[in-house]
Amino acid sequence: MPFNRKPQKFNAQIKAVEIGVGEKAIKIGGENILPFYTFDGDMGNTPKVGVEISDMGLEGAVAGIVSYYEGCTTAAEMAKKAAEMEGADFVALSLEGGDPNGANKSTEELVAVAKEVADAIDLPLVVEGCKNVEKDSELLVKVAEALQGKNVLVLAAKEENYKAVGAAAGLAYNQKVGAESAVDINLAKQLNVVMTQLGVKPESVVMNVGTAAVGYGYEYVVSTMDRIKAAALAQSDTTLQMPIITPVASETWSVKESLAEEADAPEWGSREERGISMEIQTAAADLVSGSNAVILRHPQSVATIAKMIKELA
Amino acid sequence: MFKVTFTFESGEAVEAFATSGENLLEVARKTNVAIDAPCSGNVVCGKCRVKLVEGNVVSKKSSHISEEEFAAGWRLACASTVEGDCTVLVPDIAAAYKSRMKVADLSSSDEIRIFETAKEQISEAGIAFTNNLSRISVKMNVPTLDDTMPDNERLMRAIKAQENVDIVHLPYSVLRKMPDVLRESNFSVTCVIGKTKNTIFVYDILPENDESAICGLAIDIGTTTVSALIIDMETGKILGKASAGNGQIRYGADVINRIIESQKDNGIQKLQDAVIKETINPMIAQMCASAKIKTRQIYRMCVAGNSTMNHLFAGINADPLRMEPYIPAFFKTNSLYASDLGITVHPDAHIIIAPNIGSYVGGDITAGTLVSMIWNRPEFSLFIDLGTNGELVFGNSDFMMSCACSAGPAFEGGDISCGMRATDGAIEACTIDKETMEPTLTIVGDPGTKPVGICGSGIIDVICELYLNGIINPKGKFVREGKRIKRDKYGMGSYVLAFEEEAGSIKDVEITEVDIDNFIRAKGAIFSAIRTMLTALDFDISMIDDVYVAGGIGSGINMQNAVNIGMFPDIPIEKFHYIGNSSLSGAYTMLLSKEAEKKTYELAQNMTYMELSAVPGYMDEFVACCFLPHTDANLFPSVVLR
Repeated sequence: MPFNRKPQKFNAQIKAVEIGVGEKAIKIGGENILPFYTFDGDMGNTPKVGVEISDMGLEGAVAGIVSYYEGCTTAAEMAKKAAEMEGADFVALSLEGGDPNGANKSTEELVAVAKEVADAIDLPLVVEGCKNVEKDSELLVKVAEALQGKNVLVLAAKEENYKAVGAAAGLAYNQKVGAESAVDINLAKQLNVVMTQLGVKPESVVMNVGTAAVGYGYEYVVSTMDRIKAAALAQSDTTLQMPIITPVASETWSVKESLAEEADAPEWGSREERGISMEIQTAAADLVSGSNAVILRHPQSVATIAKMIKELA
Repeated sequence: MFKVTFTFESGEAVEAFATSGENLLEVARKTNVAIDAPCSGNVVCGKCRVKLVEGNVVSKKSSHISEEEFAAGWRLACASTVEGDCTVLVPDIAAAYKSRMKVADLSSSDEIRIFETAKEQISEAGIAFTNNLSRISVKMNVPTLDDTMPDNERLMRAIKAQENVDIVHLPYSVLRKMPDVLRESNFSVTCVIGKTKNTIFVYDILPENDESAICGLAIDIGTTTVSALIIDMETGKILGKASAGNGQIRYGADVINRIIESQKDNGIQKLQDAVIKETINPMIAQMCASAKIKTRQIYRMCVAGNSTMNHLFAGINADPLRMEPYIPAFFKTNSLYASDLGITVHPDAHIIIAPNIGSYVGGDITAGTLVSMIWNRPEFSLFIDLGTNGELVFGNSDFMMSCACSAGPAFEGGDISCGMRATDGAIEACTIDKETMEPTLTIVGDPGTKPVGICGSGIIDVICELYLNGIINPKGKFVREGKRIKRDKYGMGSYVLAFEEEAGSIKDVEITEVDIDNFIRAKGAIFSAIRTMLTALDFDISMIDDVYVAGGIGSGINMQNAVNIGMFPDIPIEKFHYIGNSSLSGAYTMLLSKEAEKKTYELAQNMTYMELSAVPGYMDEFVACCFLPHTDANLFPSVVLR
């Protein structure tokens, strides 16, 4: 009997969300197939890769990253350089310096940085907060206000501050909002529900359902993303049809495999290679599990993942 | 020694003596001053607030008392030690849990209807309502100088001959009064006997033609409330009914805290005394007085309670119950007699214990299952007992499955800042106006009673109304602002049900986001247990034909609101039936009918126990249920915001 290919068809689709303005604007999501199942149908917009820079400069970065940004003195210069990176679709600016338990930079200072960066590049911009819930509900609101017209993606509204962040970014200043939850399909869905009840359009929401570095309970990430896509497509669950963005670098560059210097763990070999490897493995796994965009740091990781997407999609 | 004076809002005062450094809550317990301490004095729940009026105590500060409150004299009793003479005020809210004993008025048919219904339904299922207690007349020859047989042999021989048995037991209690009764009645007496195949146990010897009733006592020992019935064992008539707070409450709100408390010095004895001497015996005395019978006319008892309550009632170490592999001392036992436990009924009264199924599915459930009748119907029924532990039984005449979930004390007002049990002053029902957000309250007690706190059925109503009116979001967080919405300095919202000046309490009666969160977890535990059990059986919620709800949450529970918040499945409301205290009606039928007792053992044996914590998907289901009404809104199509 001849083999008869039966494509898996869904009557539902992941929403396509546009970030940025002008020629370089990108769309993420839009597929109605499982990740990279191009034999089943249209992948919509191919997954996108972002390059992460920080308001804290290159603190703790490995040599390859430091040398790539050689000569850059401001975040804006770094952003320009990041935008030129091979494989980069967008730039992600992390405002980690705002953390009250860290450098505790003022909101005004950080908003100025964000504005400079946004003005320096024509690639779409994603702005990540400092992860402190209270600070972010003030900081991200101001960022969303300052960057009006740039159509940036603000990461992220969480259960605790979705009202402030969601209302500012998603309603008042017409940006895109990230909805961040901690590797749990129900929590992800609950946040989408309350966010849309607030009035934020589903087409303005991108989920960050959380990730871990590979080897760190990563099975939960795969299962969560897998089930979200299955619910969105197979069960037409409209509250889960938002595309997924995954900030990979901040996870993978903070585990011991990427932090331990070669002098301290000679048997593990080069720190830089380990870090790149963790970043690439995690990003690849996130993408095939359902992420529509990943955020990376190392030029080699960005190039490799971009190549992988090109060849698979 | 220092003098500690406890004063109450009513103006009463109780004096106690304490040694230096003694814990204030312990002093209160010793003195039988009721202060609610659901967390067993671990500075967790913040319920044992008292106000220092005079003198001083040394108190650790905690998050439960703000700086201003501390300055005003508010202390947590459990976090305070006595270091001198002092006077402390025990506010009503701290003492309100100690529900007064209530002896029911049996002239209203409502009180007895559920028991009669239970009896009728079980009879219809072919179970005979007979037991082996009866009364016989025995005539003997009057002894003479030629007939010198001792009294006991004379009586035993006469009974053997008359009843055609080989063995007759005459216990000490009978032996003692026998010579007098025999002579007063000229050797023509009435005996109360219990007859098994070849043996007769003589419970009592009475004058000829004595018509005093042969009574039995059915008790439901709940973690929070104890209820009891005195019945006529020959006719099944209910002679008395009473309920009271379980005296063990002051040792903790839930079974785990009680077990921990029982492991302290002389703890097993203290907990047994709390339930028997302080709770059950006074109830017996009151019921007997109002029914005009003597306590020793009670010849048999049946007790239904959860496994821990059964152990603590019997004075048996319950510690293995709470530790892996969770082994009870008994599921059922025939070895308990009233005199062993110091219960003030006939000393030889046998105590029937409704059998347990698992460490956390107890006799209250098997007894409840018996009267729910789900074992006798082809339709699929769900039986839910809402208590500190939620228990479920699902099935029909072919199979039954049970599981327990830890709902916590929220249904009975625990874990809720202004929570209380359904006693005087408790808000038991509520509606809220969508526009003005003003509440309309129904309060337990005489008309005009001021609200002091809120009980389980009231919390269901409040959360439902807040949600349907868009005042809270499905996560239980406040999204509207107004006069009745307060925010603390951390931004945590609360809804004021009664401002201080409207309340019978010393502060606003309110429900906070933390309370709502606790309650959402409790209802999530119930619904996720329902879903998990049905899914394991490959059943869908639409296949439930009937839902029987039992438990102390009260007949005031608004089923529609319970569905609206996602506690019960969204099926037509007429399928829900509140069956009251099914544990007590089960005990009643087991007491009255030997066959019903046997049936209960059979049910317990045939029920499959499902350990939810061993089901991989349970946690996932639980998180999905911690949302109003549910993360999967498709499960609750009838719930629509106003």
